[in-house]
Amino acid sequence: MKKNLAPIDRIGRFVLGAVAAFSLLLLVAPSLIVVAISFEPRGFIAFPPSGLSLRWYEHVFANRQLTDSVVVSLWVSLAVAGITLALGVPAAFASVRGTFAGKAAANAFLLAPQMMPGMVIGIASLFFGAYFAFRASNAMLILALSVFCLPFVIRIAMARLAGLDPRLDEASANLGAGKLETFVRVTLPQLGPALVAAAAFTFIEAFDNVTVALFTSDVRGRPLPVELYYLVQYDSTPAIAAISALEIGLSFAIMLVLARTVGLERLGR
Amino acid sequence: MSSAPLLRRILHGRGIWPAVPALAYLFVFLALPMLTLLAFGFVTIDRGRIVADTWTLGYLKAALADDLVWRLMWRSFWVAAVSSVLTLLLAYPVAYLFAEAKGIWRTLILVAVVSPLLTSALVRAYAWIVILGGRRGLVNQTLLSLGLIEQPLRILNTDWAVLIGMTQIHLPFMILPLLAVLAERDRRLEEASLNLGASQTGTFFRVVVPMSVPAIFAGLALVFAVSYTNFIVPQLLGGGSYSTLAVQVYEQTIVVLDWTRGAVLATILLSTCFAFVLAIVAFGNRLARWNEAAA
Repeated sequence: MKKNLAPIDRIGRFVLGAVAAFSLLLLVAPSLIVVAISFEPRGFIAFPPSGLSLRWYEHVFANRQLTDSVVVSLWVSLAVAGITLALGVPAAFASVRGTFAGKAAANAFLLAPQMMPGMVIGIASLFFGAYFAFRASNAMLILALSVFCLPFVIRIAMARLAGLDPRLDEASANLGAGKLETFVRVTLPQLGPALVAAAAFTFIEAFDNVTVALFTSDVRGRPLPVELYYLVQYDSTPAIAAISALEIGLSFAIMLVLARTVGLERLGR
Repeated sequence: MSSAPLLRRILHGRGIWPAVPALAYLFVFLALPMLTLLAFGFVTIDRGRIVADTWTLGYLKAALADDLVWRLMWRSFWVAAVSSVLTLLLAYPVAYLFAEAKGIWRTLILVAVVSPLLTSALVRAYAWIVILGGRRGLVNQTLLSLGLIEQPLRILNTDWAVLIGMTQIHLPFMILPLLAVLAERDRRLEEASLNLGASQTGTFFRVVVPMSVPAIFAGLALVFAVSYTNFIVPQLLGGGSYSTLAVQVYEQTIVVLDWTRGAVLATILLSTCFAFVLAIVAFGNRLARWNEAAA
């Protein structure tokens, strides 16, 4: 491989390496720049920041509207993670191990939300609610986001289930364990890491989502992404960088947990 | 033991029943809302209620006769198309490098690819405002201080900013499917090609790239769909007067509060998006089959 590269191959390798390096920089740099800007001591954004200060973090934590929206988002995301796990994991069981008429159609329907843009799910929920005189509210947001996130859970659980050996469950049953006992003591422990990944991924997705939230969330008691959306649209103070840096920190913490439990490669699929 | 097969059936969850709650949930909270959305484009709506006996194709006809709708659709289309191709050009080398890399390098590349996925698109759009915006923007600061330009470039609030933002934000969606395919590929054909005296570059274009055609088109279809329907990036990076079909759907529904118009445009957005995606997938399949035939 390393001996006597033809000139065309030298050029080829150089171009490939250069583009890859550029892409990787493009992927990482914006987030790093945002984090750097968040430490700006002055009132406007600059890069590199003119000093190191936590002024904008204090500003964020002192802003009641923002901290309230964080709390709203945390609750919404927890609820969405709970609902999607409760619905998605059993559904994945049927999808992988079930043999019933119309299975292909059922599977397609279960994964259908991933073909819908968040905006369309948001608007459809808003209209459907309005038809029954339900206004946009954070309950509506939770219901709509659960639709949006369900395929993530089902896909992660399906991938893991497909790799499990059903004979272990049979062995457990033959040894006299009940159905529930088998599920709790044999199947669930094997699924564990995948469920952690699914929950974490859904939580982040729900916490960050703005496309569904803009249409369905409560006008009072907005979640963080909606609050942030209006802020970004009309302003570019370093306070936004501070919120963003906190979000990036949260995502990284969750990603570390994921890397430990399931490995990163599985996430995209 | 005649009950054994039955026991086994239940144990394996062989029936549809574990999926019933999820299916019911999606029926109520996805299928019915989608039907409502569709219906709202063909009736008169008064305070969220359908006014009886007002079914009409008029709203759809009006939208399709509107020049603006076609112009916005065209912009949505070309922005999504260009940005999908750009993501492919940027993504392929990363995925290829990942397949060649070992140990810690693999992990680092993976972290670089996945971490933006875990950062909200809003945060990344904000980052681009900071980087591209005005005189104080990072790009202009650098170019001005290097003396390469005398006047700050106007990038923010143009097509360029929208393209750059979309491409960067959707890059991981393209890299991940390619990464999986390239890392697990069968390398014997390449070795054969190299042993027969082909150059590495020739082998890359004649063996590696054709083999990954299905993944390439899966990525293109996905990135096209998310770009075509993205209204956040055009709004934030394109500026207040910049509009696409998706932006128009948002504005009609949330700002103008013309739900009928919003519903009609959303229906047009979704159906054209599906049509384009199907076309991309069909083209990819044809290309893959043609490749197989050629090989």
